[in-house]
Amino acid sequence: MNNHHNNNVVKKAKECYFCINNLEPDYKDTKSLRRFINFYQKIIGAGRTGTCVWHQRKLTLAIKRSRKMALLAFTHK
Amino acid sequence: MSKTKPSGLAHYEILFVVSNRFTEDEAKTSIAKVEKLITEGEGKITLNEYWGKKRLAYPIKHEAYGYYQLFEFDLERKDLARLDEKLRLDHEILRFIIVTKKLKSDEQLAKEQKIKEKIGKKQAEQEKKSQEEKTKKEAKPKKDAKPKADIESLDEKLEGILNADDLL
Ligand SMILES: [Zn+2]
Repeated sequence: MNNHHNNNVVKKAKECYFCINNLEPDYKDTKSLRRFINFYQKIIGAGRTGTCVWHQRKLTLAIKRSRKMALLAFTHK
Repeated sequence: MSKTKPSGLAHYEILFVVSNRFTEDEAKTSIAKVEKLITEGEGKITLNEYWGKKRLAYPIKHEAYGYYQLFEFDLERKDLARLDEKLRLDHEILRFIIVTKKLKSDEQLAKEQKIKEKIGKKQAEQEKKSQEEKTKKEAKPKKDAKPKADIESLDEKLEGILNADDLL
């Protein structure tokens, strides 16, 4: 659907998953990391997930480490 | 000591994958070898977690599975490069990663907390600003009531889509 048309209108302030749960992104915790990647295995933007700047940076690093270790895939097959 | 390199013990974490070319017993020998590499010098293992045979998210060297092993250890900083090199040359190991586990001092923790709060404050300010602008805009045309409801229902729909993504 034409969701991306409404993106800036619909945008809602969500709270950061890591701040709320008092967690830090960990490359070994694929269960948590999977919340932040889409069907195509791409990292979802912080705006959509509500992740704060601090944790988004740590999150991308964790996802990259996780991919290196073959715990997460690089792309959707 | 006049060395510029930082000295002393540091806390690390290593995760590595042993190739599925080997049987589990052989993989355990491989793991024991790595353990010995760590403990040879001053190294001391503080956590030993064997994850067993796991499916790789993508094939590595035509292998679909691998044996995962996690260690946490204390090691002299100067010995890390040597360990890293030895693991690099070890063809039984498909992948490895060594991460510094910070044994954070109170000072460091306080510093990080400050940065976090600063970032949080900035974000909150920005949000407030954009919120104010929004309400200003909304305050002008009074006939806005209906589209606003539409936006809210759209918001709910989007939320549903996002949550569905989470299940993947
Ligand atoms: Zn956060």
